[in-house]
Amino acid sequence: MEPQPASFLSNFKRVGRREDPDPHPIPGLPADILHMRVKEGSKIRNLLRFATARMQGPGQGGGGGGGGGGGALRQVVFTGSGRSLTKTITCVEILKRQVGGLHQVSKLCNNTVSEAWESLRKGVPGVTICRTVPALTILLSMDPLDPQEPGYQPPQRDPHGPPSQHMAPGAKRVRLEEGNRELPSTSSV
Amino acid sequence: MTDGRAPGAAVLPQNPLTSPSGGLQSVEMDPVEYTLRKRLPRKLPKRRNDVYVNMKTDFRAQLARCQKLLEGGGHREICVHGLGLAINRAINIALQLQASSQGALQLAANTSTVELVDDLEPDDPDEAPGEPMTRTRNNSAIHIKVYYPSP
Repeated sequence: MEPQPASFLSNFKRVGRREDPDPHPIPGLPADILHMRVKEGSKIRNLLRFATARMQGPGQGGGGGGGGGGGALRQVVFTGSGRSLTKTITCVEILKRQVGGLHQVSKLCNNTVSEAWESLRKGVPGVTICRTVPALTILLSMDPLDPQEPGYQPPQRDPHGPPSQHMAPGAKRVRLEEGNRELPSTSSV
Repeated sequence: MTDGRAPGAAVLPQNPLTSPSGGLQSVEMDPVEYTLRKRLPRKLPKRRNDVYVNMKTDFRAQLARCQKLLEGGGHREICVHGLGLAINRAINIALQLQASSQGALQLAANTSTVELVDDLEPDDPDEAPGEPMTRTRNNSAIHIKVYYPSP
């Protein structure tokens, strides 16, 4: 008795899942960079608490989570795939608002997911299924990045930005600049 | 400020247990029921080669529209925008366009935050003391430029 194609996998149990990320989505990254892997069940507050503590350093940040010597980090990478794409972007957007003056490069790619399925009945061999899922890699950096790189975004000056950035002329002009994203920002910190 | 005005039936049975002084306090604390109306996102610039992806239109139709713009429409680049839940679909469309072009197309993604406005209207404007309110919230958006790189 051959199983029907529709209920084919109902006789199987998933025993393993491996996701192979694109090895070099953004060229020229150091190997020891802080890599935040956003998953479907990750809590945004947990991710951001960790990332802001590491980026603002042990002295400034409220949390003492940024252990290890060396001070604050200058760069962080966020990756997410499949259903966590939206969460990845939300994390990056909130972090950009909390930590001002961040340069950004976003890259889209396809990740390969290979799943191993094992049959529930004896004597039937297991199968491996390969699928591709869309994935997103975003690099945030306090140091300037290459503006010619596809997917580059300069830092935005935000009216609700951190208090360290001084905004004298009032909020109206800043709002105008924020709305017009096509203009390259001429001055930074 | 009478007991009869409390429309929430769930609050009233708790009164003997939670507030020993009487029902008046819990009537004050009873939250007014509001209807939440989401306004449409603010109008965005729309060029010929802008595609705003939503979750109502069929996916294949939106993909075909992008392909038509790039192949038949003679555009060297199009811009695919997605807001909130439609981010996934916008990314899918962009990656499928790139895959079907055998690597001729390049992608450049930008992210942004869009401020959305909700209207809160009291359900019963005659009895409830609430006033219409608005509340703003943020949502994430993606803008993907799909283009043929200049030689």
